[in-house]
Parts: sequence; structure tokens; C-alpha cells
Amino acid sequence: MNILTFSEARHLVSRTGLGVEWESVKNLEGLTREKAVEIVLNPAPAPVRPAPALTPWHKLEPMRDDSAQGRKDAWSIAQNEGKRLQGWWIEQMLLTSSPFIERMTLFWHNYFPSSIQKTLQPSLLHKQNLMLRQHALGNFRHLLKAVARDPAMLVYLDGYENVKGRPNENFARELLELFTVGTSEYGQADVKAVAKVFTGWGISPGQSEFAYSAGQHDPSPVTILGRTRAFSGDEVIDLLIEHPRTAERLVERVWQNFVSGKRPDKATVQSWAAQFRRADFDIKALLRVVFNSPQFWDATNRGSLVKSPVELLVGTVRMANYPRESTGEMVNLCRLMGQQLFDPPNVRGWLGGENWISTQTLLVRASYLSKVSRGNLNRRVDTGLRLPPKDQQEMVNWMLAVPPVNKLPEIPGSRRLANALMLDPAFQVS
Amino acid sequence: MNRRGFLKLAGVLPAAGLLPDLAWAAEPKTKNKTEASKKIVTSSKRQKAVVLIKLAGGNDGLNTLVPQRDYSLYAKNRSATLIPKHKLNEFPLDNGMSVNPYMTSLRRWWEQGDLAWIQGVGYPHGVLSHFRSSDIWETATSAFEHSEIGWLTQVLPQYKQGLHGVVLGEGLLGPMAGKDCHTIAMQSPQVFLSQVGLVEDIQPINHGSAALKHVVNIQHQLHNAGQQLKEKLASPVRLPGFSTSVLGRKLESVAQMILSNVDTAVYKLEHSGYDTHANQLNVHNNLLFELAAALNSFGDAMKQHGRWDDVLVITYSEFGRRVQENRGGGTDHGTASVQLVMGGRVSGGRVYGENPRLNDLDGDGNLHMTTDFRAVYGTLATRWFGVNNPWSQFGSVGFV
Repeated sequence: MNILTFSEARHLVSRTGLGVEWESVKNLEGLTREKAVEIVLNPAPAPVRPAPALTPWHKLEPMRDDSAQGRKDAWSIAQNEGKRLQGWWIEQMLLTSSPFIERMTLFWHNYFPSSIQKTLQPSLLHKQNLMLRQHALGNFRHLLKAVARDPAMLVYLDGYENVKGRPNENFARELLELFTVGTSEYGQADVKAVAKVFTGWGISPGQSEFAYSAGQHDPSPVTILGRTRAFSGDEVIDLLIEHPRTAERLVERVWQNFVSGKRPDKATVQSWAAQFRRADFDIKALLRVVFNSPQFWDATNRGSLVKSPVELLVGTVRMANYPRESTGEMVNLCRLMGQQLFDPPNVRGWLGGENWISTQTLLVRASYLSKVSRGNLNRRVDTGLRLPPKDQQEMVNWMLAVPPVNKLPEIPGSRRLANALMLDPAFQVS
Repeated sequence: MNRRGFLKLAGVLPAAGLLPDLAWAAEPKTKNKTEASKKIVTSSKRQKAVVLIKLAGGNDGLNTLVPQRDYSLYAKNRSATLIPKHKLNEFPLDNGMSVNPYMTSLRRWWEQGDLAWIQGVGYPHGVLSHFRSSDIWETATSAFEHSEIGWLTQVLPQYKQGLHGVVLGEGLLGPMAGKDCHTIAMQSPQVFLSQVGLVEDIQPINHGSAALKHVVNIQHQLHNAGQQLKEKLASPVRLPGFSTSVLGRKLESVAQMILSNVDTAVYKLEHSGYDTHANQLNVHNNLLFELAAALNSFGDAMKQHGRWDDVLVITYSEFGRRVQENRGGGTDHGTASVQLVMGGRVSGGRVYGENPRLNDLDGDGNLHMTTDFRAVYGTLATRWFGVNNPWSQFGSVGFV
């Protein structure tokens, strides 16, 4: 019947939530796997925090044409508003009652990255975040078509500069290389052809919205992956999405994010990708397959993922209601740990996995955890801290995915124990 | 420990409240300084260091070394991104090329023979993806091979034990990726030292997931590196006024570590922003200006402390840019580009490699490479590190 034990319920929460909240684990404990997975996949809608005050694109962009001073002003506006936007998302993640939606939105932000630093347009990145959120558990085909029209993406990958006679290949290349079929499946001729098809896709000057300009579009027939015709942009996306590698590459990424740090075997990837295609690219259908798979529940995969900076920062606070740093400091810590929201290092996004842990980032993680958990170890100070487990073993089972590496402290006290567990290497993995 | 704490312990800080800088200035007169210097001489030999600067995003070689002799051909392909002809008299080279005028401050190093350029550097069948081409450059593979082992990881374990490299800033380990290279990454030495005390030593484990083993191993490395740096950087060296750009600050940290005899062979840092698809001219000129200013400060600091012969600075970039500019006043991804090399032991005042042939482009409108980047690595392996050359089939370049 596959009734979830405490540890299994904890595993599901840890891989799909932000922090292992005691109540969330208890709610899933004792249910069947299938039932628990459905609860995770169908979160109650949670409100999105009101947008921070951001200067719209059509106000910010003309400032840059004015003068050197205008460009400077536009730059500082973008920097300040960029931090505000990062804080907005951190607060959303800290306070939401549906953390799975945040994790999926972050997953797509990493799959289709755009950056406030390259675009210098925080308002467009906010818009993109709402778009990714809307499609987070929807349909991958619709999502990809929305991404191709997304103003932040059009700026980030220079699509809005891609016009008839002077194509800009940036978006076309990443569409092939990263968003769909992958490097081994296309050549430079395909990049040029795809770029030509997307000429004329831009942003309307007045509204910060997608706009297609027929005058700047090159309608001549092209050959893409061996097929020749006058494609529309949507037809190219349809062609690319049907390529088997597109679904397989998405499955590989889902595996890395939710299942295991080990490489998936080819048969699993192909089988999940085939089921995804049969479900017409329904994202929830793919995740249902993944979360019900024996691989997901395989005990040897526990503790095989490294917690991302967001999981560590937001998750630790949510888990036990530890006192949190100011929003600005959370944004800063996220950056120091290598995951600056709305500003991934490049269009490949964050590599994640073991790459989260370098000597530099481990240092920041250790300082943060030590600061959050230290407090006064001998007195129960009323900070709103919640450590519900009854005994030492329950505490270990709750806080860690795998047994601790270090010895447990000999002096009793749940707060001291929590502090030791948080500074154990095992706390870094999920 | 901060400098003040160290000074107190060392007995050279006579009164609390005395400014550390004053204490420092007064210090050579004290007996303790003699003892301290003696200790440095006996406890650490001078470690040579390569400083690797990645010009991230794809540096436009044609606007770094501008074809002065072939100016009309160059100007045919460039208008918004064109370096004006009269600006090319500021730092001309003897081979018909001229250095970008925003790098003119480097001319004195060229004249002293401490600065060399390598041009036409790339690999056959250049790949135009940032990531693939970075991977190729950083792992010394061909366009058709994949590897996760950095090129320095194939060199440094032969050269020395202990700490191999320090990565400054947020870049990836890149050329030092792979488990055999002992590398630490840090935001800055100050941030590093302020936090490393929290890290307890832990012995590597052989059970558990790869992720957990990795965390434990990094914690162990971190602890060891922390011990070393704490010791070496306890008494910072005085540096001349340094360029204040982000790159300048990073190079200042590198200079500080070299002068404090931190035992490592390579420092890697990134200067980013070179992916100039749009509005290239000012952006790129500014980047080169920043780069030149930071290199000047670094060179001066090394010279002043008699360490110029112990260091070699070399730049690299994942690719150059398209010869024909695009409509956004920028340039798209290209192939062959240039590398700058500086240091006391560099055979400088010379350009290595052939001039770009602007009328002989590949099917994508890109330059043909004429010097394989692995010949540059091979040269460093044999003539700088003195180890076996994994890339001997590509020849060598002779810049050092």
C-alpha cells in the first residue's frame, strides 16, 4: 500500500517545499504515496505579494537615449529596483503557504534565465516571474511560447534587436542549445535559420508588451533540422518541442533538481520523456510520474542533492521559525551563496548540485547557520522558535535527510542539539 | 586574526588606541620587525604565481589589437564599433597592429619588454556557444571532445603539493576543476578570514552520497586553507594606491597574497562584460581601460616588492567576435582572439602569432585561428611550471 512513514513524508516535503516544516510532514505521514503526491501537486492557491514599485520599461528605456546623465540615472534606478525585486521574491518565498509553487517558479527561472544586470529592467523581470508562475505547473509548449514572447527574455537574449537583414543569433542559439534540443543536434546553419524566423519579434515602445513587426520580419523559407519552408516562430517551437531530446533534456533537469545527484540512466530518461510527450507536455503529469517513481523513493537517493542557497536560507527559517535576517540581508546572503535571484551567472542558469558548495559558499553557509541557530544555548529564550520533536532521535530524523557526520552533543537541550545538527555537513544535503 | 590583533601579540603595538597604520609606519625601527622578517625568510620560499584573468563573454580581438595596416578592410566591417584611425598612433606595435587606445597606459611595459601579445588564438571549428567554448578553453579539449577536468588540473598536481589555486570572486573553478586540483574560492581574503574560524576540521568520509562526501571534503580543504591564510595574512604588506575598479580590487587581493607568500601556484579571476552584442564601443573601451589600469597597479606593486620576475599574468576569453558588426552597434560571437601576457620573465615587446586575415573568413564570417590555445598552455606547462607537456603536439609559443 506504500503508506508514508515519517521519514518518507519528510523526504517528499524536503524535495518539494522550502524547509521541512513539521506540520507539513505530519500532514503527509500515514497517507499513501499517491495521495501525498496529489496533495503536493495540487497546492491551494496562495496569494502573490503585491508588486514592488518598479519603473516601467517604457519610462526607463528612453532615459538611456537622453544623455550620459540619463543613462547613469537609469542605471541606479535599475540597481535599486533590482534589489527591491529580489527582496519581493524572498519575502514571497518566506511567507507563502504554497512553497511548491515557488520551487517550480525558481526551477523555470533557472531553465529560462534572464538577468536584471544584462537587461537593466527589473519591471520586465517581475513580469517574467508572474508569467513563469502562471505556467509553473501548466504546459511546457505554452510556457516555451510565452518565454519566446517575454519582454525580459527579448531583451536578455537580444531578440528585440533581431531584425530583417541584420539577424542577431543570440536567442536562436540558446533556444536550440539550452531550451530545446541541445548542442549535439544542430549546426550553425540551423542557428542562422532560426534567427531569421524570429526576426521582427520585439517589444512595443509604449506598453512594455510583446509586439510583432511585420516590416522587420524576414519571411523567406529556411531549413531547420532538415525541414525547409517559411516557418512562423510558433511553428519552429512546435518543431523543436517534438524533437525527442527536448523532453529528455527537461527530464534530466527535473531529475537533477528533484530526484538524485547521481546521473539518471538512459532508460529512465527515455521512459519519462515518452510519458511527458504522450501527456502533451503537461508539466504536472511529468512530475506525477517522477514523484511516484521508485527512483524518487529509493532510500539511496536520500541526501544525494545539495540544498540550494534558497532552500538553505528560506527553508531553515521556515522549518523552525528561526528569527530571520532583514530582507536586504537575505538578498545579500543569497548572492554570497551563489544564487542571486533574477541574476543567474549566465544563460545556462545556476549549475547547482555539488557546484553550490565551494570553499567560499560553504563558509557563508556556515556563518549564516551558526548565527541563526546560536542564540543562548542554556536558556529557552522566547523567540517564537518551534522545535516540536519529543526526543533526540525524532529531532535528528526531522532535521536531517541522512544520519549526522559529527557526534551529537553530550549536554542535553533541544536548542543545542538543533544548533549542532545545523552545523553538521548532513544539514547541507536533501 | 586582524592585523591589530597580530601586532598586539607580536608586541609591536605599544599602546592601545594607536592607529594601526602609524604602528605600521613606525615598526621597521623595532627589534620585533627584524625577527618577523627573519621568520618570513626562513619559513617560506618565494612561490611563483600565474595570474589568470578571464575576459568573460568573448573579447573582441579586433578592437583590442586593431589592424592598423589593414584599416580600410577593418573599417569596411565596422562603423558603430570602429576605433578611429587617428587613435591608433597611441600604442602601435611593429607588425601593422595597434593596441586599443584605452590601453595606452600599458605602453611602458611593452617598451620594457615585459608585455607580449599572442594573436589569432583559438581552435579548429570554433564553437560559438559561451559555455561550450569556455569548457573547451578551460579543459583544453577540441571542439568535438567533452571533459570536466580543467587544464591546470592536468598540470598543477605534477608541479606542487598542497594548495594549487585560489579563485577570486564568483567565477567557477573552470581551469582548476576536478578533484585532483586543490583550489579555494573566495570573495576576498578579508571575507574569507573573518568567517573561516567557524569551520571545524573534519576528516573526509567514505560512506554516504557523493554530495555529502563533497561537502565534507570541501570543509576539510577549507579548514586547511584557512589555517594557512590566517598565518600568512596576519601582517599585510603595504601596497601602493591600487586601481579601484572591481577588477582592481581583486588584483589587489592577489598582490597581497603573493607578497605574503601564500603557498599557491595560480590565481584566477574574471573580468566580465565582454559579451558586447549591443552598443559595444564605449562598453568595450571602458572594459579595456579598467583592465589596463588594474594591470598597471598590479605590475607596480610586484616591481616595488621585487617580485615581478615571480609572476606571469595572462588573459583568455572563450572566443573573439564576428568581423562584421551587427545592427545594434555590437558584434556577435566569433572565433580567434588575442591574449595578453605580462611579467618580469615574459619575452615581451613582441607579438606572437599571425595578423588576422580580414579578407579570408570562414562560412560564418569569422576569422580563422592561426595559433592553437593549447600551444599557449603547453608553453606554460614546460617553461613556467617545468612539468610534462600534455599538449606537446600543438607546439609552443615562446612568450616566456
